[in-house]
Amino acid sequence: MGRMRTIARRTFLIGSAAIMGGVAFGTYMARRPHDNPLLADLGEGEAAFNPFVKITSEKITLITPHSDVGQGVRHMQALLIAEELDVEPGQFETDFGMPDAAYYNTALGDEGAPFMSRDESATAETMRTVVGYVIKLMGVQGTGGSSSVPDSFEKLRMAGATARETLKLAASQQSGVPVDQLKTANGAVQLPDGTELAYTELAGIAAGIEPPRNVPLRDKSEWRLIGKETKRLDITEKSTGLAMYGIDLKMDGMVYAAVRFNPRQGGAINGYDASAAEGMRGVSKIVDVKDGVAVVADNTWRAFQAVEAIEIDWGDAPYPAEQDAHWKALSESFTEERLDSEWRHDGDVPAGLSNGETIDVEYRAPYVAHAPLEPLNAIVRITDEQVEIWSAHQLPRTVEDYVAAITGHPVENVHFYNLYGGGSFGHRLEFEHIRYATEVANSMRGTPVKLTYTREEDFAHDFPRQIAMGRASAVVKDGKLETYDLKIAAPSSSASQMPRANIPAPPGPDMQIVSGAWNMPYKIDNLRVTAYRVPELAPISSWRSVGASHAGFMSEGALDEFLIAAGQDPMEGRLALCDFDIAKKCLEAVAEMSDWGSDLGENRGRGVAFVSSFGVPTAEVVEVTNTPDGIKIDKVFVAADVGTVVDPINFDNHVKGGVIWGLGHAMNSEITYADGMAEQTNYHAAEGMRLYQTPEIHVRGLENASKIRGIGEPPVPPAAPALANAIFAATGTRIREMPFNKFISFV
Amino acid sequence: MKLTVNGTDHEVDVEDDMPLLWVLRDELGVTGVKYGCGIAQCGACTVHMDGLAVRSCQVAASSADGTEITTIEGLGTPESLHAVQEAWIEHQVAQCGYCQSGQIMQAAALLDQNDDPDDETIDIVMSGNLCRCGTYPRIREAVKTAAKKLQEA
Amino acid sequence: MKYIALALGLLALPAFAEGENVTIEPPAEVSREDGLAAWDRIYEVASHPRCANCHVGESQRPMWSGPSYGEPRPHGMNVHAGESRMGAEFVACATCHVERASLNDVPHAAPQVAMAWQLAPVEADWFGKSSTEICTQLRDPDLNGGRDFMDLASHLDHDLILHWAWNPGGGREPAPYDLQAHVNDVLAWGVAGYPCEGAPDLEIEEASE
Repeated sequence: MGRMRTIARRTFLIGSAAIMGGVAFGTYMARRPHDNPLLADLGEGEAAFNPFVKITSEKITLITPHSDVGQGVRHMQALLIAEELDVEPGQFETDFGMPDAAYYNTALGDEGAPFMSRDESATAETMRTVVGYVIKLMGVQGTGGSSSVPDSFEKLRMAGATARETLKLAASQQSGVPVDQLKTANGAVQLPDGTELAYTELAGIAAGIEPPRNVPLRDKSEWRLIGKETKRLDITEKSTGLAMYGIDLKMDGMVYAAVRFNPRQGGAINGYDASAAEGMRGVSKIVDVKDGVAVVADNTWRAFQAVEAIEIDWGDAPYPAEQDAHWKALSESFTEERLDSEWRHDGDVPAGLSNGETIDVEYRAPYVAHAPLEPLNAIVRITDEQVEIWSAHQLPRTVEDYVAAITGHPVENVHFYNLYGGGSFGHRLEFEHIRYATEVANSMRGTPVKLTYTREEDFAHDFPRQIAMGRASAVVKDGKLETYDLKIAAPSSSASQMPRANIPAPPGPDMQIVSGAWNMPYKIDNLRVTAYRVPELAPISSWRSVGASHAGFMSEGALDEFLIAAGQDPMEGRLALCDFDIAKKCLEAVAEMSDWGSDLGENRGRGVAFVSSFGVPTAEVVEVTNTPDGIKIDKVFVAADVGTVVDPINFDNHVKGGVIWGLGHAMNSEITYADGMAEQTNYHAAEGMRLYQTPEIHVRGLENASKIRGIGEPPVPPAAPALANAIFAATGTRIREMPFNKFISFV
Repeated sequence: MKLTVNGTDHEVDVEDDMPLLWVLRDELGVTGVKYGCGIAQCGACTVHMDGLAVRSCQVAASSADGTEITTIEGLGTPESLHAVQEAWIEHQVAQCGYCQSGQIMQAAALLDQNDDPDDETIDIVMSGNLCRCGTYPRIREAVKTAAKKLQEA
Repeated sequence: MKYIALALGLLALPAFAEGENVTIEPPAEVSREDGLAAWDRIYEVASHPRCANCHVGESQRPMWSGPSYGEPRPHGMNVHAGESRMGAEFVACATCHVERASLNDVPHAAPQVAMAWQLAPVEADWFGKSSTEICTQLRDPDLNGGRDFMDLASHLDHDLILHWAWNPGGGREPAPYDLQAHVNDVLAWGVAGYPCEGAPDLEIEEASE
């Protein structure tokens, strides 16, 4: 197919990125490094070889700019630097660093380019490089899209290596021993006679040496940390209650705030009566904020109680008030007018569909909340000179821009301090809590204000995962799936989300509508995947695995039905269709791990699904038993290929967590609207998986892929379809809509 | 009201219905105990009150008056870990870690009552503690390891 | 195992408050018809989620049912109250249902009263049962703790968990009628000879005094 022709007709994220940057760029500009932000605060005798390594006479500090919301990237980033720097855990500190353009994340661009990740053609690679340049030029510092490992893998090893080589030059200068006779280990340069010069002793001299360029990175065979089981740097503090999350920070003179803003999201506040709140103990102030009202008190709970006591008249929602209307908007969007893009068309689908009786099925994926366990919160302190913000956020530089736009301070006087996040799953890409903390703090300059959402406020403004509907048709002939036509309608999460960050929504098609589906690794005579764009309904945002969380469910659920209709075994059928070797190996791995084909006995069933998202081919087999108390999920087998596993323990933990995330929400979670408000107000109504429901999960990391990838999201999308397919195998009931507990009970 | 937290006596002047959670966090600065839901759905606020696990968001200050409270900070420290914390570290349970104080306090209470819990008991006792990251498989393993440690101690 | 001791420690709290909430004055005479009408109202109370959810059998699993739950389902979080009926073997009911003097009025939070929260005795397994079934259970001394109607009325007067049913807080729907009306109905039903629709009447022995 003429991909370039197709591409030329589109404008992509890159288009909007270039507009946002407002720059004409060339390779030269793009290759030039950003200034090193560490140099600004450097004292005498202190060295910062690059934005990631700082050494003083006291200590070694590694900067880990990717936000850690639980995915363990602080540890991963430090490992990569330490591998080449030759420092051991315990010999260095880490710091999230201050937001800076130097911490741009080019790996975000991989998902911005409209190519299948398996496509490593010159065209695709060039486009990715171009998108990467734009991101670098704009200094987009973001954590998300499972991009932390791919962004960091070479960059941070190189940061460690150049720092190490600079320190060797310093040692050579000090000792007179030629550089090629020096070795490094344990945070010191070793001279041939066994003398050790600690890096900290060499900092002063090293500070005056220009770091060498193009230092070769060590071969995989020499790695001592990467790929090995290591103790996560934060594991002790997170097991002893000492880890500091945003919600835990306390500073002198700090006051506590709570907010309520229109639960009919985006609607106005018509008026309120705060008289009941004003007299409540500890309450010092009622503050008008955008579309809402906040209370300042001397204790979080008192602020919660008082804000709850305010009687508020809310305006209407700028979207349909009732859930049925949302589904109706989706079902009416499979039209030429709403056509987003035909992302894939192999063979001739219209001809194939007219060549026999079609099987037609409809799939649905609801809105679903992120609901990380730490409710959103932020501390803001504003003076006439500067603004300081403490919180956990995935877009630190954007936070500074966002706040500067509210307060009017020059952005260089706005400082964001990133902290551990108690989960995110995409929720900490939002800005409303930052806004409200800023508005309250701006009304009482000089006083630090900690704003904490109640869990209910957090649910009301979760900006859930997009709602989506899929329609799949197939023609099956002579035991063969001949034609597969998949249409998916959904609103665009980025179009909803980016304007909230004061970033223009990207023009052009949204790959996320069909992410994980259009790139299915199957050769089918006639195969088409089409996206339809539904105008925004309720505001939505990226939810762990984004579009693949609905599109993978639809494409792999429908495929399962069609293969079975063709009389094929779901695993054998997929393997026979699979034309991508790396994907095939994942399927073969789970077939072997699960002993696919062996007899499970009565009332039991297996289901398989394969989805590639964020460049990671991932296959999962789910085993269930249909018990008198409902479906019990017994076992899950996962094989995913990230190219290189950097941190095997975290990989295992992450895959299991992703599977649990995917299964739990498929089982029992959705957000529905009534009277314009989310009906689910707390975990009792959207709980995900609990420990007793957790299956045995067997994980295998494969390393056949050429590129290194992140594992945060890819385990999520195959979980729901594999579960639906397993339930069908065990019960004969085909479930085409999440959450499944609307149709079947779970133990 | 008066209470003892991790061995230290405190007297605080709060409303009868202020939850113990907020007495600990905002009045006494004990932040290892976490706010997650406020309605006993997540277990992140679990502490021991006179030896029993309780969800501190559900304990009115009046109900906590005169009691002895142990929080994660009082269970063990990096220098002197409780067996459950040792097991949690060995199995590298935590991802975001926000629920883990509550998980650990619930597990410690379980093992205090029953030092050899079977799988079903672990599944029942630990299911009141929500973990959004999905660390449950490691929690199961860590509870068993902690039980062994306590049996051997 | 230590949990028994802990459970006993918990139980050592005063289990019953003073009974001075209702008047217990049985009517002199009640017709069978009026007795059956009283029973119908009793059944409305007994089968109401505020009461029935904790009147479960050997599953030891309290239920969640009512207007906001859709289909009835077992209490979330895999809660098992155990043979102790108060969770002593696993997670004590009191982990969340902490003893408390005042109402816990937070929506969806744990109901609390000034006594140790627990399931009704296993014999009083009512959940999902018919009016006739509950009726014959409640009049059977083997299944009602050896109580006659006066004892039942007195029990209603003393048990604070039962009182909670009419003042559950948190936006929950209370049990129908009120405590005094319910006590009056129990008395009327008893005086009428414990009639149960669809079951033979009891042979009531005249008191010898």
